[in-house]
Amino acid sequence: MPAQQSKTVAWSCLLAGVALTAALFGCSSTTPGGDTTTLRIGAIPDQNPEKLNRLYDTLSDELSDQLDVPVKYVPVSNYAAAVTAFRSGSLDLVWFGGLTGVQARLQTPGSQVLAQRDIDAEFTSVFIANGASGLKPITSSDQLVQLKGKRFAFGSESSTSGRLMPQYFMKQNGISPDDFAGGRPGFSGSHDATIAVVQSGAYEAGALNSQVWDSHVEDGRIDPEKVSEIWRTPTYADYHWVAAAKLDQRFGEGFTNRLQEALIGIEPDTERRRTILDLFGAEAFIPAADGDYVAIEAVGRELGKIR
Amino acid sequence: MPLLPGLLLLPVLLRLSLDLHSGGLNLVLQFWQAALQPSLNPLLLRSLLNAVSTTLLMAVLSWLISTGAGFILGLLCSRRVAALFGGSGWMSTWLRHLLAPFRAIHELVWGLLFLQLFGLNGWVAVLAISLPYSALMARVLADQIDNRSSSAVQALKSGGATAASTLFTAVLPETAGGLLSHSGHRLDCAVRSAVLLGVFGLGGIGTDLALSLQSLRFHEVWSGLWVLAMLMFVLDRLRRRPQLLAVVAVLSLASATSQLDLSFPQVTSPLLNMSGEQLLGALQETPWAELIGGTLLVTVAAATIAVGLPPLMLLLTLQRRSLRQLLWALMRLIPVPLTALLLLFVFQPSPVLAAVALGLHHSGVMGRVMEDDLDECSSLQAEALLQLGAGQRSAVLYGRLGPISRPYLAYGLVRLDVILRDTAVVGMVGGAGLGWQLIDALGSFHWALVLLLLLAYAALTISGEVVSGWMQTTWGCKAVEA
Repeated sequence: MPAQQSKTVAWSCLLAGVALTAALFGCSSTTPGGDTTTLRIGAIPDQNPEKLNRLYDTLSDELSDQLDVPVKYVPVSNYAAAVTAFRSGSLDLVWFGGLTGVQARLQTPGSQVLAQRDIDAEFTSVFIANGASGLKPITSSDQLVQLKGKRFAFGSESSTSGRLMPQYFMKQNGISPDDFAGGRPGFSGSHDATIAVVQSGAYEAGALNSQVWDSHVEDGRIDPEKVSEIWRTPTYADYHWVAAAKLDQRFGEGFTNRLQEALIGIEPDTERRRTILDLFGAEAFIPAADGDYVAIEAVGRELGKIR
Repeated sequence: MPLLPGLLLLPVLLRLSLDLHSGGLNLVLQFWQAALQPSLNPLLLRSLLNAVSTTLLMAVLSWLISTGAGFILGLLCSRRVAALFGGSGWMSTWLRHLLAPFRAIHELVWGLLFLQLFGLNGWVAVLAISLPYSALMARVLADQIDNRSSSAVQALKSGGATAASTLFTAVLPETAGGLLSHSGHRLDCAVRSAVLLGVFGLGGIGTDLALSLQSLRFHEVWSGLWVLAMLMFVLDRLRRRPQLLAVVAVLSLASATSQLDLSFPQVTSPLLNMSGEQLLGALQETPWAELIGGTLLVTVAAATIAVGLPPLMLLLTLQRRSLRQLLWALMRLIPVPLTALLLLFVFQPSPVLAAVALGLHHSGVMGRVMEDDLDECSSLQAEALLQLGAGQRSAVLYGRLGPISRPYLAYGLVRLDVILRDTAVVGMVGGAGLGWQLIDALGSFHWALVLLLLLAYAALTISGEVVSGWMQTTWGCKAVEA
């Protein structure tokens, strides 16, 4: 066998060897399934997800100091993944949207709503329109029919304020998703992207989280010539913290209550706590209960997002 | 012949010019300006470095596993190896068919499925990439072994050598070279797969890119893109040096446990409690013809753009090879959802736009294949044509492009099913089809529909393979799997 060839064979055998070792090594290096002594928290990627991902230490440190247990932040970048992670026990406390929170609780018996932000009890969506679209401000919801035949953009497919509730209010007024130009709405992927695609004119109208819209307006990032608000929806309950079942068994009697108190007790009195509230765009967290989201569940079922 | 697909570019351009609106031009400018001034925020950079090592790890781990598993499966699939050990070969043939569905379903679909089964766990991405890649590797190895016949094997056998020693001293050495270069290429593919899985929430740099993109922070997006570009550059340099690759592999394995949660996944399977009634309901409520038709249309249009663009660019730029390579690298670097969003800033949404977004990304891959083919093919014909007085362009067309056109087009056919699955990511530009429906069904936890959509995908890809296999035989050439 020529030298070159034998060398190649040697390398391929080495590679195959390493590969087999990797496979075995991988299978055997299993640390015990769930680490039950650490509280694992997460959040759906909705507002400032990239910041949250980088500043997660602030929240986990705060909770860890308050509750005297180790807290770990697990980044999630997909709505459905957050729900699944909660169901499979990879996450103990998650910041969910209205729809995802209900989905998560239905799939995870024993879990419960702990808290929401001050603004979440009466949350709204805004409908926005491009200046050249000819769409006029809407004074009563039956005027939503003027959206028929327009190019329309939602945000993420599982978003409550960017898809579910806007679609619901349109359905109430006789508009279904296939009434839009092209026979279907577009999905921009996020609230910010919805503003961008409507402002640029790619889509004539869109719907998003009113909080995101308001902060864009305040920061002067909106060109009123190009894009403007045409309607604000009636209020509904949105984002909330959901805790897994059996936390009391794992962390001691009354832990779930202490967790709720710790969240509600976050006030803007230290640098770290201000950062946290700022990240979530909240003045404060307030108590919330499962019953606050009954209406969202009904809408979710009606639109087929909850089965 | 490779210029034919380019003809489709005309109606596409026409349609695009009708849909043109300049509303987002400033956003597009902002995006490209951000390329020169990526964010250097230390928090961001730390997060990106962590993320890129996670991505590399996912890629390397799944590459190693699929190389190992593919090697063993490949031997089992080979009729020649079976014959060596005194078998009849029908088992190998059957095993080969059995592996086809694993190859047919894209790693992204596997990933989204495993995510539902196992929750957030490092194995989800690794397994999702390993499954189709192992099956692909097995097929490549089996093909390589079976398509050769050498006297050495005969000599050894008649000399009384055992089957095992014949396998290791004669059969494997002849295939080793091709196999090594192929497995090097697979690592590059594995990295891009790992990035795409990240975009869909499985961690790594894809996740960071997706999050920054969601908030339209272009400076941060570019920090991520530059880090990714560096990784791809380094891996490309290492492509022809398996020794160094092995070192990289071992090193990244050493850091495996600290980066990825590789604990044993806990199976929670909602797929198991599904009734026939739900299946029937999902079957009836879904407009299958429209979905499948729309998906196929976008796929074929995207594929023609991807295949047609590189030869066209070759004729336009001729000798400026490094310029083209930069272009192809850029196309591969930018994930499809980002291309789609950028196009939306200046064009109205339409299925054509979805096809363009997909086509541009994959033209980066096709472009690289073309350049590799050109490098390996001698330029004697072109020089001869030049000597005979042909123009520069016709010399390149007939002398250089001509000889490589068959393998190039054959590879384009293989590319078709990658593009088919990628249609899932262009929901935002109105290119909705099966893929978009799958993502929405997963978000609604509508398992009956998920199952049906997966079956539809598998059926489409398998029939696609049959068609492309048939066309390859008709053209009398075999694609070099990549």
